[in-house]
Amino acid sequence: MGKLTDKLKQYLKPGYYDKFDYHWTMTIDLDRCTGCEACVVACQAENNLPIVGEKRFRERREIKWLRVERYWEGEYPDVKLRFIPMLCQHCDQAPCETPCPVAATYHNQDGLNTQIYNRCIGTRTCAVYCPYEVRYFNWFSYTWDEPLEQQLNPDVTVREKGVMEKCTFCIQRIRQAKDRAKDDGRRRVRDGEVTPACVQSCPAEAMVFGDLNDPESRVAKLAKNARGYKVLEELNTAPSIVYLKKVNPDG
Amino acid sequence: MADYREPAYADVNRDILQTMLVTGPRYWIVFGITSTVALVCFFLPWIYQWHVGVGAAGMNRNAVWGTYLSNFIFWIGLSHSGTLLSAVLHITGSGWRKAIYRSAEAMTLFSLMTAALFVMVHLGRVWFVHWSIPIPNPMGLWPNFRSPLLFDVMAITTYLVASSIFIYMGSVPDYAAVRDASTGLRRRLYAIFSFGWRGTAQEWHTLGWAYTFFAVFVIPLAVSVHSIVSWDFAMSLVPGLHQTIFAPYFVCGAIYSGTAGIVTVMYLLRRCLNLERYIREIHLDNLGKLLIALSLVWSYINILELFTGWYSGTSYEYEALRFKLFGFYAPLYWEMITFCALVPLLIFWKKIRLSWNRMFVISILINIGMLTERFIIVATSQPRKFLPAAFGFYFPSVVEIMITIGSFAVFATLFLIFIKWTPCVSIYEVKETLKPLRRAA
Amino acid sequence: MEKINRRDFLKFIGAGGIGAGAGLLYGESTRKTVELLIPQVVTPEDYSPGIATWYNTVCRLCSAGCGISVRTREGRAKKIEGNPNHPVNQGRLCALGQAGLNALYNPDRIRTPLRRTGDRGNFAPIDWDEALTLLGRRLGNLKIKKQGSSVYLLAGGLRGHIDTLFYTFMQALGSDHYLHYEFTHPAALYAANRMIFNQDILPYYDISNASYVLSFGADYLGTWLSPVHYSQAYGHLRQGRTDQRGKCVQIEPRMSLTGASADEWIACRPGSEGLLAMAMVHVIVNDGLYRGPDRNAWLEATGPYTPEAVAAQADVAADVITRLAHEFIRNQPGLAIGGGSAASHTNAAASLAAINVLNYLAGNLNTPGGVIFNPDPVSPASPVARQASYARLQEWIEAMAGGGVDVLITHAVNPVFTLPPAAGFTEALAKVPMVVSLSSFMDETTALADLVLPAHTYLEAWGDDMPEPGVGFPVATLSQPVVKPLYDTRDAGDIILSLAHQIGGELPVVLPWTRIEDYLKDSWKHIYGQRRITADSGGNFDEFWNAALAAGVWGENITREPLRFDGVAEDRIRALQVPPPAFAGEEKDHPFVLLPYLTQAFHDGRGANLPWLQELPDPLTSIVYGAWVEINPATAKRFGIREGDIVEVQTPSGSLRAPAFLYPAIRPDVIAMPIGQGHSQYGRYARGRGANPLEILSPLVDEASGALAWSATRAGIRKTGERAPLIKTDGVTRTLGRQILDDKPAHT
Repeated sequence: MGKLTDKLKQYLKPGYYDKFDYHWTMTIDLDRCTGCEACVVACQAENNLPIVGEKRFRERREIKWLRVERYWEGEYPDVKLRFIPMLCQHCDQAPCETPCPVAATYHNQDGLNTQIYNRCIGTRTCAVYCPYEVRYFNWFSYTWDEPLEQQLNPDVTVREKGVMEKCTFCIQRIRQAKDRAKDDGRRRVRDGEVTPACVQSCPAEAMVFGDLNDPESRVAKLAKNARGYKVLEELNTAPSIVYLKKVNPDG
Repeated sequence: MADYREPAYADVNRDILQTMLVTGPRYWIVFGITSTVALVCFFLPWIYQWHVGVGAAGMNRNAVWGTYLSNFIFWIGLSHSGTLLSAVLHITGSGWRKAIYRSAEAMTLFSLMTAALFVMVHLGRVWFVHWSIPIPNPMGLWPNFRSPLLFDVMAITTYLVASSIFIYMGSVPDYAAVRDASTGLRRRLYAIFSFGWRGTAQEWHTLGWAYTFFAVFVIPLAVSVHSIVSWDFAMSLVPGLHQTIFAPYFVCGAIYSGTAGIVTVMYLLRRCLNLERYIREIHLDNLGKLLIALSLVWSYINILELFTGWYSGTSYEYEALRFKLFGFYAPLYWEMITFCALVPLLIFWKKIRLSWNRMFVISILINIGMLTERFIIVATSQPRKFLPAAFGFYFPSVVEIMITIGSFAVFATLFLIFIKWTPCVSIYEVKETLKPLRRAA
Repeated sequence: MEKINRRDFLKFIGAGGIGAGAGLLYGESTRKTVELLIPQVVTPEDYSPGIATWYNTVCRLCSAGCGISVRTREGRAKKIEGNPNHPVNQGRLCALGQAGLNALYNPDRIRTPLRRTGDRGNFAPIDWDEALTLLGRRLGNLKIKKQGSSVYLLAGGLRGHIDTLFYTFMQALGSDHYLHYEFTHPAALYAANRMIFNQDILPYYDISNASYVLSFGADYLGTWLSPVHYSQAYGHLRQGRTDQRGKCVQIEPRMSLTGASADEWIACRPGSEGLLAMAMVHVIVNDGLYRGPDRNAWLEATGPYTPEAVAAQADVAADVITRLAHEFIRNQPGLAIGGGSAASHTNAAASLAAINVLNYLAGNLNTPGGVIFNPDPVSPASPVARQASYARLQEWIEAMAGGGVDVLITHAVNPVFTLPPAAGFTEALAKVPMVVSLSSFMDETTALADLVLPAHTYLEAWGDDMPEPGVGFPVATLSQPVVKPLYDTRDAGDIILSLAHQIGGELPVVLPWTRIEDYLKDSWKHIYGQRRITADSGGNFDEFWNAALAAGVWGENITREPLRFDGVAEDRIRALQVPPPAFAGEEKDHPFVLLPYLTQAFHDGRGANLPWLQELPDPLTSIVYGAWVEINPATAKRFGIREGDIVEVQTPSGSLRAPAFLYPAIRPDVIAMPIGQGHSQYGRYARGRGANPLEILSPLVDEASGALAWSATRAGIRKTGERAPLIKTDGVTRTLGRQILDDKPAHT
């Protein structure tokens, strides 16, 4: 009976994995984040995010894989403003993976929630199911005014209309790091060898990225920080991003 | 002018076949209008959207689902009419269904087709829609069976196939009647359609149990199909949608909307095809009673939703409820309540229940309310999810409104084709309700 | 093969036609375009396809001077990152820096030299030889007639050897009229440093090691001096040390980006920052927290500035002033810094001087965590003498208006946009017979030029930079092209060198180089020799040069004797006073103070032509693609103004219209507008968008420093009845009790 329940229990875990090779995790320290949005522009540059234009922004169709949300607390003059960068949380129990009818989004063996552009047929169910609203749809095929397209990163697909996209933790950089590690004698990727564009650019060093499975990595240590928490934790999405809450000096 | 004497057998054949075999200019004008509207309002905007991208619709990053999906649900809902009337009432052995079940089943079929069209309009890359079907493909990939949308695909396909077989099978004796009453090409065609039906006792017996079998088969389909459609929403985490009441809510709403649809179609058929002798007060009376019962259940479920929202005590449910009841779309919410909960209460009065015109109006109002209900589900839940900074707003675009209007034209066109292809009232079943043939005195 | 009859033949054509048609529709819907491959018969020499090449250079989008590494693939720049070797930004980069690729690949770059045809604003392309001859001859004639001094050269904040080149060129021409003007130039801070510390350079504020940062309006995380470095320092101050977390206090009338991260935000009256600082000085000396020998002088100087007296003027409670003063002294090392509103009133220099005094009293001068003056800046250091304040520029404007300027050359500066019209620059410009612009973009000033000699963008240019304020030890950044020039533009240095050769006479003798690269290299030979730099592999300049170019930066972080500071002279102490701020306009007609503010994306408007930045939601309001007027919500309610209502802002010098935004963290008697939009030129992304608050400023000046007092204009607002809903990405900016910022929701 015990063996049967054990076998059944594996079906409780949504996903196609037993354990991760890597477990890519990010920590974002809200006590360091200044809200400067350097990460947002870095992500735009690295991942060929389209310039959607004023009209589309007005229609609320922007595509910003990483956005900085702001929340006010209190009233003037005792008013506070808090920033929180919001990006795909790469949930281990992602609500967006199950409802895709064509399996265009799935959890890979490194703990990433991946989006396969050429499999996506654009039902947009994943975006409805995502509680963090970090999925963005290509409502049109966007173009770049010549010669801005010369800047496009050749390592990242340029998406066409009808396809859903979102933060990938710069999977192209992870892929390159893994390839380099393999060429280098089949070793593991070391801590600090791969950083997504946003983490690399953050002036306040608020974002740290790495492999949670590596106990010596910065991110593994920071994830255990007492200030650590996950956004909307009660939804049980098991995000891979740990936020470190801002210290309130009075409390 | 109208002849309300109980018809004789020959009258039944003649009257009903006349609707099929004799086509006046009025039909062609109406057909011309509906097909033009369908082309201009449904297909042309769709082609434009195909070319430009789904951005032609009004959805945005907050509300990625819009009227395409809410219309899809509406049409699936409307499709429950046939199943209920045909199958359920057949099992319970009620006699009053006999005159109207054929058209109701046709409504089911064409609603399903229109709903399927909406699925395709909704997709971002519709040219890959076949990837959701488990057929061999060069990528070697199965679709994702854990997805409620795939349950949808399975359920609706099954329902479509079952309904098609169901209606076809039930029409075989009538095709034989058409064959016997026509000549030339039509006679040859209907000879094929009717599988050479001769009306022997053996054939009637086979038809009887086959039909009953399908009736029993189709009933759980009706319940499951709309439950599955509701799970597109209920399996998400979205506040206001993530509720177990959704399956009964949708099924009840579907049957409700479908029954109201039947009243509308019956009124039009009766009026335009001179079928006053066949579609009579008893039908209206019983449909009315059905409507009132369903309206009460529907109202109950809505009250439940309000209650669970309040009872939950969470910010998410409060905000979703608040936005639904008092936000931008509040007028639509209250219109829905009026049309679907309050107006049908009038049906309690026999005077209203037995009045064709008044019931026609009420049935249309009910369906407007139901269409609004689907829209509200989509438009007021998505912009109020979990992160307040991501709250948004959704308003349908011109393309969406045109396609919505166009879908009714598509349905009407299909129905108009139907009444010229199959007798819209079941000849042989109506005859079963008449007194047996007597020799003329 | 059997014969095909006519009927079948037509059927096949039809089927084929339908197939082709269907294929066409399918193709259209998937929109594939033809792509070309690199012909490998002739292999390119500067890249290997598929492998990225990184070039280190300097970012010139603001005056911080961060070092950048640019990733290029197949000869195209793909991504800008911070240079990990560079001590200013240490591998990090801000939003503006990341958007630099939009400047390089901007669709509206000027691609060839242009010459004015007809009215100002109409141009026709000409080639370089013609252009250089035209200008060279004119300059040559002026030189021969000994009228070289009627040649004026106005540059943006230039540093490094390009600046030296320009200076040498102008001197050889016989002209002293070479100035740098930038809107963001901290003239008041320089003046304040001279007044208190006797220094002509900007210090390095060691926020990283501080325990307390008392900022009077300085937006050090967004726009002030060196935002990337200070952001990094801020991160370290907060969570980089295990034994302490620094505290940040921000005092300003409108919450800036830095104010949002502060632990305490105090809304003082505009222009009262200096008074508050003086009050704190008074408290510190009075309460015995400072025991230096000159404390009596300080006590006397700050006598009138008691907390009670200042509290009413600044609208900050006296006990808060006292508490902050005590906290500041007790939490050393700590820093008191000033900028933003504090540096843009008529008492700017005095206010910043008072803030400097706080540092002096705290004893944090030239100590870690304090105010550190670089004892050994790399020469050529920041050319202070050439940095013009607004008042100094006024002299030029008068000269231009008076017909005393024959040729005005501009480089990397856009005064028509950044100067208020009340300054009269545009009218004076019309009187200059020949206006030459070396800009890469058709900005407002360039549009009025007679001759446009487009320079390379910074990613295509050679040069170097000595960042100021830098990091407290000598640092020099080297700039090299990361791509081949896209268009028919030239390096600004090359343009000057070509002109020198064109003009002839003593110029080619003084500037014998033909390429800027050689000039740079030779200049560095000089530094190399002077500083006795030895490369790792022993004393070879060429190896040093290659290593330095590869690293992108050279610096010497060795311990040096800190600069000597002998204290503040007594007469200076006694002379110190902070007058109350003066404003243009009466409170009666103009009940608000208009606060223009710099945004981290656009700075003084230079970032407005970069589409990534136009699309970047403003960090504090989330608005994109437009400008707005920030009004306190209570004030807006009183006026009946809703978000998106177009209001007219009227000052004594003009009026503009912009949509209103209800900003929770601004004083009720203050309205604020972001600087940067409202361009009438400058490309498709910038043109015709929003409004420019600098246009309606009254030209008040801080007499002590000559800086424009750009926060000293009073304004009235009027509802116009029109609406233009703001484009913003935010929904509701309250957490509504949800578990977002914390592990526990605020309330259920």
